[in-house]
Amino acid sequence: MRRIALPLIAVVLVAAVLGVQVAAGGGHYAPLRPADPCTPRPVPPIPAQLEPLAERIVLVGLDSAACRLGISRERLVLAVAETRTLSPQTTAAVKAGLRDAVDRLGREGRLPKVSQLLPEALDQANLPGIVKTIIEAIPDSLVDKLLPSGPLLRRTIDELDINRLLHELNDPRQLNSALQSAILQAVLRQILDRLRP
Amino acid sequence: MTADRGAHPASPLRSRTGAVAVLSLVVAVVLGDSGVVTLALPEILREFGAGVGEVAWVLIAFNLVLALVAVPAARLCVRGDPSVATAGGLIGFAAATSVCAAAPSLGVLIAARAAQAAGGALVIVGSLELLVEATDAERAGARRWAAAGVAGAALGPVVGGVLTSAFSWRAIFVVQIPIGLLALPAVIALRGRVVPNGVDPDMSPDRPHVLANLALALLSAALTAALFLLVLMLVDGWRHSPAVAAAAVTAVPVAALAAGPVFRGVRAGTRSEAVAGSVLIAGGLTGLALLPGAELVWTVAPQVLIGLGLGLSVDSLTAAALRDRIPRALHGGWTIAARHAGVVFGLAILTPVFTADLHHAETPAKEAIAGLVLDAPLPASTKLELAERLGRRLVAERGRVPDLRPAFTTLRVPATQAPAAAHLERGLEDQLKRAATRAFRNAFLVAAVLALLALGPALALRDRSRS
Repeated sequence: MRRIALPLIAVVLVAAVLGVQVAAGGGHYAPLRPADPCTPRPVPPIPAQLEPLAERIVLVGLDSAACRLGISRERLVLAVAETRTLSPQTTAAVKAGLRDAVDRLGREGRLPKVSQLLPEALDQANLPGIVKTIIEAIPDSLVDKLLPSGPLLRRTIDELDINRLLHELNDPRQLNSALQSAILQAVLRQILDRLRP
Repeated sequence: MTADRGAHPASPLRSRTGAVAVLSLVVAVVLGDSGVVTLALPEILREFGAGVGEVAWVLIAFNLVLALVAVPAARLCVRGDPSVATAGGLIGFAAATSVCAAAPSLGVLIAARAAQAAGGALVIVGSLELLVEATDAERAGARRWAAAGVAGAALGPVVGGVLTSAFSWRAIFVVQIPIGLLALPAVIALRGRVVPNGVDPDMSPDRPHVLANLALALLSAALTAALFLLVLMLVDGWRHSPAVAAAAVTAVPVAALAAGPVFRGVRAGTRSEAVAGSVLIAGGLTGLALLPGAELVWTVAPQVLIGLGLGLSVDSLTAAALRDRIPRALHGGWTIAARHAGVVFGLAILTPVFTADLHHAETPAKEAIAGLVLDAPLPASTKLELAERLGRRLVAERGRVPDLRPAFTTLRVPATQAPAAAHLERGLEDQLKRAATRAFRNAFLVAAVLALLALGPALALRDRSRS
């Protein structure tokens, strides 16, 4: 009995320590696992401002693009950050993901009207003062009728050069310029479509 | 047959006590050198710009040479006067230690560590005979020698960490030079006291104690993991200073020294102690593999288990390996060879395991960081700027656990966003600690298996109560 007393005490001590550690979560202490991009995440309220709207469309769109590509949102972002040049397949998935995001936010009634975004957009736009004044004079109802947010955003996404945007990510001025150019093109096409008989 | 003592009049008690203390200290210092640089490895790694695999050779070179040279050094001691061999070893050890202290490159440091081990081998095996002579009692001397070795092995990393933190890794070697030289007068004073017992080491009637030495080798391999991996995890993974890490790992030596008194009432022989020690060390390593958080407090209980196991098993197995075997120094040499071969074996199989796991931990850590940044309640422009900075940090420290704090220090955010930025910084640090802790898991588990393997030879030992 005396000979096994010490090994028995050792076993009891080890069991006690390991028991406490496992009960406290030992064995599950690991980095966060990326969420399934195919399961929609809840979307918080979006203020009627350009940057939060763009950010939300990108975040929801990344999930959708990652789901299409069969990888996690985080892996897609890291791959994009490392290469800064997307393959045609990934570019198509990203654009499709962004369009999905616009559709989802539109269905959920979360897209602000263009008239709500217009003052901020004009403030940032590099347009002559007279042009800004004329645009500001257009009634909100007409703006929203001519430029419904969902279709305008979808057109903007179509106009985007994703690879160029990725290269401009570190230069806010160039990034804004590229985005404004895409938005302007989309606005013009949208208006022309509306004006066509 | 035992070694005879010279026909010299008995030394005064005070000088014998002094010689025992000095010899014990020098044995502890040399055996402590096995792991003394463990806490300094991250600093050495940074100073020489080397990888973990290369820097591990600062540990491996010492232990490999000690394992290879211990038995030949013991034969040399047995053939001549152990005090002469020990004095020669001390001089060689001090000289090589001086080179370590001034090493201009990693290559020189590794070569000097190998030379240090060669001198140290002579010091250790010679000191066994000299301690028996100085204590005037065979078993007491051998036990003192084994205990000094255990204390040195357990305290080495702690002392190394404190010196690295207070001064620099070079201080570890600077302080050893006078300690080595301090022992010289005591060793020279014992010259001629131990006369050869006439046993030719090549014709020794006693074979090495295979089971005890095998158990020592396996437990040493596991213990190396305990100290080497734990220290790397604390300093490189959890980003504690060497001083904090040194304070944290004192739980092992404290528990090792406490094992004797704590278990005095239930100690029942080498087999029982070796089995209990193996279980405790394996359990402690499993505990380190299953940490529930990156707080230092979680490492204490597993360390205590490891320390208790170390205190119970290593000196008991060493005593069993030496008991009634002559030449004593030769069998002491076998125990040293077994222990340090175990250390090398442990490092050789564990270093690739955890370096590979550390590499594989990179992707989950990056994904966790990317997820937190994407979902952080910060403006998109701030996130983009932060992502760029974090990316630079990750590239700059590729292959190591990155320090992300610099990415936040110069980040300009409005006061209203500052709490969110601070929360994100803490979250990212937490993810890195999680990834680093996870990366060490498999290595700790492999080490636990090594300790469990020691149960085989431990159970096969002939049980014999300590006398």
